[in-house]
Amino acid sequence: MQQQLAQLVAAATQEASAVATRAELEAFKARVVGPNGSLTQVMKGMAALSKEERPVVGKLINEAKKSVEELLAALLVKVENAEIAAALGAPVDPTLPSPDAPAGSLHPLSRTRERILASFRKLGFVVAEGPEVETEWHCFDALNTPADHPARDMQDTLYMPKAFRSADAPRKADEAILLRTHTSSVQVRTMLSRKPPFRIVAPGRCFRRDAVDATHSANFHQVEGLWIDRNVTLADLRGVLDFFVKETFGADAEIRLRPSFFPFTEPSFEMDLRSPNLGRLSDRWLEIMGCGLVDPKVLELCGLDPQEWSGLAFGLGLERIAMLVHGIDDIRHFYNNDTRFLRQFA
Amino acid sequence: MKVSFQALSRHLDLAGVTPERVAEVLPMLGLEVESVTTFGLAPLPLAVVAEIKSFEKHPKADRLSVCQVDAGEGSLRQIVCGAKNFKAGDRVPVALPGTVMPGGFEIKVSKLRDVDSAGMMCSSEELGLGKGEDGLLILTPRQPAVGTPLNSLYGAPDTVLEISVTPNRGDCLGLRGVARDLAAALGLTLKPLTVKTAAGLAAAPAAADAVKFVRSSSEFCPYYTLRTLKNVKVGPSPAWLRRDLEAAGLRPINNVVDITNWVLLELGQPLHAFDAQKVSEGIEARPAREGEEIVLLDGKKVKLEPGVCVIADARRPLVVAGVMGGADSGVTEATTDVLLEAAWFRPGEIRRVARRLGVSTDSSHRFARDVDPAGVELASRLATDLLVELAGAQVVGLAVAVGQPPRADVTIELPAGYVAAKLGTPVADADVDAAFARLGFTVQPSAAGTSVRVPSFRSDVTRPIDLVEEFIRIHGTDKVPAGRPIAPLPGEEDALTSVFTREVSARLVGAGFTECCHYSLRDAAELERTLGADKAALVAMDNPLTAEQTHLRASLVPGLAGALALNLSVHADPRGLFEVGTVFRPQADGTVREFLSVAFAIVAEPVTRSWKSREAFDAPRAKRLLQDAAALAGVASVRLSFAAATGGLWQAGHAAALVDRGRAAEGACGVLDLRWTRSLGLKSSVIAGEVCFPRTAFAEARKVPRFEAFSSFPPVTKDVAVIVPVGVAAAEVESRVRQGASKAAGKEFALESVNCFDVFTGPGLPEAHRSLAFEIRWRHAARTLTDEETNQALGVVIATLEKGAGWTVRR
Repeated sequence: MQQQLAQLVAAATQEASAVATRAELEAFKARVVGPNGSLTQVMKGMAALSKEERPVVGKLINEAKKSVEELLAALLVKVENAEIAAALGAPVDPTLPSPDAPAGSLHPLSRTRERILASFRKLGFVVAEGPEVETEWHCFDALNTPADHPARDMQDTLYMPKAFRSADAPRKADEAILLRTHTSSVQVRTMLSRKPPFRIVAPGRCFRRDAVDATHSANFHQVEGLWIDRNVTLADLRGVLDFFVKETFGADAEIRLRPSFFPFTEPSFEMDLRSPNLGRLSDRWLEIMGCGLVDPKVLELCGLDPQEWSGLAFGLGLERIAMLVHGIDDIRHFYNNDTRFLRQFA
Repeated sequence: MKVSFQALSRHLDLAGVTPERVAEVLPMLGLEVESVTTFGLAPLPLAVVAEIKSFEKHPKADRLSVCQVDAGEGSLRQIVCGAKNFKAGDRVPVALPGTVMPGGFEIKVSKLRDVDSAGMMCSSEELGLGKGEDGLLILTPRQPAVGTPLNSLYGAPDTVLEISVTPNRGDCLGLRGVARDLAAALGLTLKPLTVKTAAGLAAAPAAADAVKFVRSSSEFCPYYTLRTLKNVKVGPSPAWLRRDLEAAGLRPINNVVDITNWVLLELGQPLHAFDAQKVSEGIEARPAREGEEIVLLDGKKVKLEPGVCVIADARRPLVVAGVMGGADSGVTEATTDVLLEAAWFRPGEIRRVARRLGVSTDSSHRFARDVDPAGVELASRLATDLLVELAGAQVVGLAVAVGQPPRADVTIELPAGYVAAKLGTPVADADVDAAFARLGFTVQPSAAGTSVRVPSFRSDVTRPIDLVEEFIRIHGTDKVPAGRPIAPLPGEEDALTSVFTREVSARLVGAGFTECCHYSLRDAAELERTLGADKAALVAMDNPLTAEQTHLRASLVPGLAGALALNLSVHADPRGLFEVGTVFRPQADGTVREFLSVAFAIVAEPVTRSWKSREAFDAPRAKRLLQDAAALAGVASVRLSFAAATGGLWQAGHAAALVDRGRAAEGACGVLDLRWTRSLGLKSSVIAGEVCFPRTAFAEARKVPRFEAFSSFPPVTKDVAVIVPVGVAAAEVESRVRQGASKAAGKEFALESVNCFDVFTGPGLPEAHRSLAFEIRWRHAARTLTDEETNQALGVVIATLEKGAGWTVRR
């Protein structure tokens, strides 16, 4: 009996080497452990054995069965491996480049904008927006710049024809419709539509009737800020701007407020920046933005009582900041859309 | 405005104060310094007067001369020179080797085309003396001795600071105003202005005056003075006066005109001088009459707008008031009697008229910024002093004045603690009062705080808040500390347009697209292509600057197509490009609406080769991106419908137009018009998409989604294939399938999805027909659906399609 089992296992082992597919495996399995399989036949012979022989033979059979099962398990792995290899094909070369295009990139102006907005969001400023085509009232009059005020000479304006009607900026009377020259018009819209206190930043596109050169562009972008509350002070203004500058240009950057003039702020300042990390523009004062306390006249024109409410406002040029941060020397790069430029800021 | 340091020194003692220091101080007062330049001859110790003894043509260069020059050294020097305007015996400036010229260039002994040259003979411009005649500066008429140091022929050089004066600071358009601010900042005292001519004004002309009347009937001229000066000798001005004018960038003309200009520079008050003989009877400031014309000083003949203030005599307008004089009433060499005008005109009107005439003069610039009414008479007297002194003029009496100074000093009640409250930091009252006193304001205690009297030269200071600015200018902004930021306000959210811009950009960047940024202003051809000629006219600007930027953009797609072409032309693989921005679209009601647009474009055939090929980007992928973008804007895909796009930017038959009636989203996607993109130089076809939303679409806050329970039982799927004529849109068939499948489900169970999975045309189908196959999926909330139920449901769908729509279902 012992010999018979040993022969059986040896025969099965030899036969197993020829098994390559799942069908062959199934057939082989049937031949050995199937209902009429060779091992099954031997096990059926157990019934004829004596009580004394059974434990001895049983043990032998169990050993043979274990060998066969191991054999089958090994065969299954072999067959599955063959199947996987067939399904997947040849192994890959992991060093080949991916044929897919990499992720795209945001425009440097968008990146700069988002970075600036994120800084101000930390101070509780939320984003507000307004139309690019504006009424003269929102762009000038409400900002304390009536017609024939010499401040209007500070910017040359592009106008729409008299017949033009904007769905987003309907006329109040018969004032001109123009392309906004600054995002300060969003200040006006915000004061008219929201109840103070509030803090907003308004990014957006502006237009001036300027010839294009390395520092001028027919359209450009500003980020405007407005904080209306009770008792807003010059110290608050310095605090907000100082925070922004350190966020954007690093802890080494310093600011100075240089007295200036804007019709909609009083007092008004130009904020200058000085930083040791700006390449050839390092360590000198650079004009970055206009700012000041909201002129009481503007509050009044926008329906807020200047006795109760006060505010601060600032406006910066996005292109200017992006140029400083990235060391870009010509504003026209932003609008040329050469991907060799655009992808440098991914 | 150009400020001469020497001229400034006449108004305050600047001993120990360098021009560099002034250039540091002025900006912190609000007077930005744009440039600092040297005026006059800079110290050039090695530059001397020399005589050209002889010269001959350069042997190798026709344009050069080889000169033998006596520079007073005992022997002659040979200098090669390119100028032509000299003769032997002329005395000229010579920069000897070692001289560093004002431009920074050092003169060395050298060879010019193989001929030795030991120095340089100089032109006026090379010496930094301004543009003189072409060629060398000929000193012969001044007869300087040979060898004289050049600097001894000229005065000490001056420093000129070009300052940019903001519109509120009209007072700083005169040296006196700049000096006053500087004195306040440096703690210096302004020197008194001494005027000899007697003060006082007459109400009407006296017999000795050269006019019979002086009147004003124009609302724009509330205050007008005119003085007669007789026996004036018109001639050149003395050197000091010419120098002052030239330092300020003005050209000397004759002593009378120069004196009026000089006073303008000193005090900021424009003056005008008439030749009394050319004035008929009297002077009146009056509104221009219908049809009147005037020839201006610059030779331009202009038609006067009725109502504009002119200064006229009995017969005709002589001057456009405050803006520009006429050609035929001014002072000339032949003038003997002068009428000197000093007046105050309404600032807004002056600005309006000057802009309308397209001129900006020194005079209109100042009047538009509100000159000091109290300075009118003073300026007239100061000019009179000089006319007497420098032109021998004879004063016959007082100036005649009509009207009153329109404004006087103002007194501002400054509440106690107001300045500190605005600064957000404590300040001593004494510091505040001292700052005002330094500015020439008068401070007195009052019941509520302080009474501050502001002289009329500061028209911009009228309110307490203006005094805060004055204080901080003098006190220094660096003394205000940074306040601590306070906590954010709860419930405040970014504008949804801004959130959308951020999210949609991230989506497209993730899909491999690179963001672009194009100008909003486009040319007519682009808009005509995008909107058609009629609608394009609605987005044309009134006063475009250039022919390339005449219209507002109505689509971002043309910019992107152009960027693809540009990148390919420079051999950069553009891959996919996108842009997010405002476009302007005419609406049915005749208005133009702003839309926030998202657009992308990509060339269909990849530019870069790869070892493993990928399926090309096509119109259905563009459609998916568009739907994703719309979903981010809160417009669900089911609300969007697509129809064939026609004309304009899109290729007929290969593009779709998107419609969302609910919120007026607009858009299109597919292949761009091939003829157009080929004309841009793009060989491959371009796939693009654009979807845009009116700003109002974002107005309502986005809803927070609510959880809906879903079934835990398996769905049942059935397929149905429909044969339809080719003209029938897939969406129409799908809608019918959906309708039937929904009806079949009734209230018992639910239709989960209908998905078109096969489109087939070819053998076995009738001519001009195609087969569309749909997978329908139903599910029951509480149990597994039976075969019987779903077969019955499929029967309902088939009946809807066959009996309802008249199509054939394939079996």
